Amino acid sequence: MSNDTRIPLQPVWDQPDTSRIPFKVYTDEQTHQQELEKLFYRNHWCYVGLEAEIPEPGDFKRTVIGERSVIMVRDNEGMINVVENVCAHRGMRFCRKKHGNAKELVCPYHQWNYDLKGNLQGVPFRRGVKQDGEVKGGMPKDFKPAEHGLTQLRVAQRGGVVFASFDENVEPFEEFIGPQMLHYFDRLFNGRKLKLLGYNKQRIPGNWKLMQENIKDPYHPGLLHTWFVTFGLWRADNRSELKMDEHHRHAAMISTRGQGGKNAQTTNVSSFKEEMKLNDPRFLDVEVEPWWNGPTAVMMTVFPSVILQQQVNSVSTRHIQPNGHDSFDFVWTHFGFEDDTPEMTERRLRQANLFGPAGFVSADDGEVIEFSQEGFEQKPFHRSLAELGGREIEETDHMVSETLIRGMYEYWRKQMEV
Amino acid sequence: MSENWIPVSELEAIPDDDVIGVAVNGHQIALYKVDGEVFATDNVCSHGQALLSDGFLEDGEIECPLHQGRFCIKSGKAMCDPLTEDIRTYTTRVEGEEVMLLLD
Repeated sequence: MSNDTRIPLQPVWDQPDTSRIPFKVYTDEQTHQQELEKLFYRNHWCYVGLEAEIPEPGDFKRTVIGERSVIMVRDNEGMINVVENVCAHRGMRFCRKKHGNAKELVCPYHQWNYDLKGNLQGVPFRRGVKQDGEVKGGMPKDFKPAEHGLTQLRVAQRGGVVFASFDENVEPFEEFIGPQMLHYFDRLFNGRKLKLLGYNKQRIPGNWKLMQENIKDPYHPGLLHTWFVTFGLWRADNRSELKMDEHHRHAAMISTRGQGGKNAQTTNVSSFKEEMKLNDPRFLDVEVEPWWNGPTAVMMTVFPSVILQQQVNSVSTRHIQPNGHDSFDFVWTHFGFEDDTPEMTERRLRQANLFGPAGFVSADDGEVIEFSQEGFEQKPFHRSLAELGGREIEETDHMVSETLIRGMYEYWRKQMEV
Repeated sequence: MSENWIPVSELEAIPDDDVIGVAVNGHQIALYKVDGEVFATDNVCSHGQALLSDGFLEDGEIECPLHQGRFCIKSGKAMCDPLTEDIRTYTTRVEGEEVMLLLD
């Protein structure tokens, strides 16, 4: 880039490729608004939750798509609906509970009342009030409740996971994920019923894309997360692969852990500290599961809204919920499978201590994202480098590449038309 | 046990094909008159907090003013969403100009 330190109005891409990323893509509120429209509300399926979170008719969960509040609710026929949390009458975001069970959805302001599919059922005093033998007020005679339901989103379910879209014309979910990534999606969600184990939630003061990039960046785990290296969960020479869908928007980092220990090479990353021991070694009481088919970790980014995690026995979804260009909520849903033994459930829960806002590993990511945002905000005319492994976009069989980040921005530029 | 018939209203106080609300021993009762015949149900809707006597009587059904749930005035049956619970009905008879209601 030139020495020009004036702040551009729009992000400036100074290369034909995406190996240098303008800081402005993280700092510009207008860009953020366009992203919400183009990446979250149109053309994409966004994660909303797990079927196991709402097992019974009437169960609901309030969540978001981008910055829009939505409700995932199971109706009396057992179907899952996703409706926008905005009353059709005066526009109030009426549902305030995070989870619950309800017979109907009611806005408290004027008690407009919707069924569990979002259809308008009742309007108080729709036909007016009777006074002195006369009927006064009420809605116009031509008011049609059928035209004033809650916004009903399209819903896709696969393997117990629920996605939704505001876009009527969004492509089928399987095409959206693409065959390459569907393979890894189905590996984790292979039809077994899921069992909800719990949540972590944190607010990270950084741009939401940084979290997608974090899980498309296999360069950092062995360098930032010294805990991983110390205890042998991640080493740069782990057998590993980086894969993408054909649009390069989704990706998977697939790795198979070495045996660790003093006889293994840690190859230039960090010394393996033999003298360091866990107070409670059960954190790494890993049990190989048949469904892994080899890989000990598959970290999958589904653009734009979710990360699907398998890190040894810990499995979770991580939902990205932007609020402004410089902040997002990160909601972890830890789960297991219905056929897990109590010991396996306990093991999954223990290993979940690696993750979440205070996790042995993930606490690091929250901080570096915050500090990256600080850097961008002070130097918005500058750009970052993503040239590791070359400037091309290609799948690799090693971890020393930023190809997935370049791929995501290639897709981003196409979608954003910049 | 003797039957507990209570006078609740004058017949002419109930307009034809309409509904009024009365209080009987602390119970809120809705009284309906259809083709000269009197019917009685609970007056408080089983769904929201509303009096059915503020609602609209049509084709033997009372529509709640709040959320348009409808009950059959003869059986008390909940006829549509958002209602999930029926309401109670009462036996009436007319003695001269007086409407009598059977309370148990």
